[in-house]
Amino acid sequence: MATEPLLKCEHVTVSAGGRKLVEDVSLTLPRGQLVALIGPNGAGKTTLLRAILKLIKYDGRIEINGRIGYVPQRLQYDRTLPMTVLEFMALTLQSRPVAFGVSGRVKARVQELLESVGAARLARAQLGGLSGGELQRVMLASALQEKPELLLLDEPAAGVDIEGEATFTELILHQVREHNTTVVLVSHDLSVVSDITDQVVCLNRTLKCVGSAKDLLTAETIAEVFGGHKAVYGHHHHH
Amino acid sequence: MFDVITNYFTNDWQALILVSVVCVCLTTGVLSPIVVSSRLAFFSDAVAHSTLAGVALGLLLSLDNPITLMVGVAIVVALIIASLRQVTTLGLDTLLGVAMAGSLAAGLLMYHAAEKGYAGLHNYLFGQVALLGPTDMWALVACAVVAVVVGARWGNRFFLLAVSRPLAQARGVPVARYEFLLIVLLGLVVSLSVRAVGLLLVNALLIVPAATSRNLARSVRGMFWGSLGVALFAGLCGLFVGDYLLLPPAPAIVVVAVLLFIVSQALRPLLGHHVAEA
Repeated sequence: MATEPLLKCEHVTVSAGGRKLVEDVSLTLPRGQLVALIGPNGAGKTTLLRAILKLIKYDGRIEINGRIGYVPQRLQYDRTLPMTVLEFMALTLQSRPVAFGVSGRVKARVQELLESVGAARLARAQLGGLSGGELQRVMLASALQEKPELLLLDEPAAGVDIEGEATFTELILHQVREHNTTVVLVSHDLSVVSDITDQVVCLNRTLKCVGSAKDLLTAETIAEVFGGHKAVYGHHHHH
Repeated sequence: MFDVITNYFTNDWQALILVSVVCVCLTTGVLSPIVVSSRLAFFSDAVAHSTLAGVALGLLLSLDNPITLMVGVAIVVALIIASLRQVTTLGLDTLLGVAMAGSLAAGLLMYHAAEKGYAGLHNYLFGQVALLGPTDMWALVACAVVAVVVGARWGNRFFLLAVSRPLAQARGVPVARYEFLLIVLLGLVVSLSVRAVGLLLVNALLIVPAATSRNLARSVRGMFWGSLGVALFAGLCGLFVGDYLLLPPAPAIVVVAVLLFIVSQALRPLLGHHVAEA
């Protein structure tokens, strides 16, 4: 059914150590939207994502009608591990051990995925040698391999674009427009919200507001979500 | 020297040693990249030390061949460490230090009680290929088969886990199940290899091959085959040259492997590998 919502959260609460990290969040997301999930540090944004990914226990109901892709926040990994980007992508694409080589079919698929994120030349690069922007594209390519209908991007770094390639924003927009994917950009930084954002969701433990960018980005709502730190907004308002 | 080598193919008893050593090296060569990438070096060392408790328990119960007990105790200790890791706030290195010392001390007490002293203990500490029997050999063959099958079937998952646990989790890998599998496998491998190479040296064979190939490899594939090559070369070279020079095989094998590591370390700058920032 095309009309059923892609994601439906009902009264979602996540507790840890007697403290409620996320409380009573109800949220519905349709397909093919660009959504910004914003809130200050420690507002429970990543916790909510982890609940949606079913990685942690939660109370309430989360219903997802589609495949999810996830690009984690600033991935910490062993940069000394000898592994090429091709091998990293192949780990989840083939059952043959990558130590025995990557099959021609998977090589072509990886190349296609990397091209789709403007990182075609990275296939032979070492995973440990990637810059922040390159790593983000590789992680995006890796998340796209399952053809996700809901794509969650935790703190996509701004200003890390590869020279001569489409910007990260353009890639995301392409996903939304061409593949009818709903992309959720999660950030503590209001700069992820722009005129192409369809929906803004403000979270600070509880849901503070949901609506279009134009309606929501008033001084009052910002103050409510960020606890009066209007400077956060002012800082990014010069565009 | 040629005679020394041919004897291993003509003499039944020496052939048994050769097969055992090749199996130990095949097993450790395959698992080494996973152990090193998953940072389980100290973990396997702790498991190795716990095997003495299994041996001693076997002696106390007057069992002829304590293999099953050794494997059992090693796996139990491995699982205790793994589950303690979930509940304690101590660092893994501290936890392993406690487990290693505790199981070794308990093993020594039981050994002393059973044998009224420490006679024969060196066979377990340093390994004694000459004491290997057909049961040991077949156990090592089975161990090599298990290691190769597990590596081939789930190697990709283990490497994804080694890159990042949260990422593997988000990709739907049942992380805890794979960690459990790896721990049980390590307990099995280490405890079976102890009789051949000794509990003080078995860990070297799990660490040095991949440490060496990592120095030169730029890919998982390179690291894997390099590790296997180093392990098998060190195994055969250490066995044959050790025999020729009347040296004990286990330390000779480890010394050859470490020499290869030193060479790889020296070659590394020549290959112009990027220096990864921490």
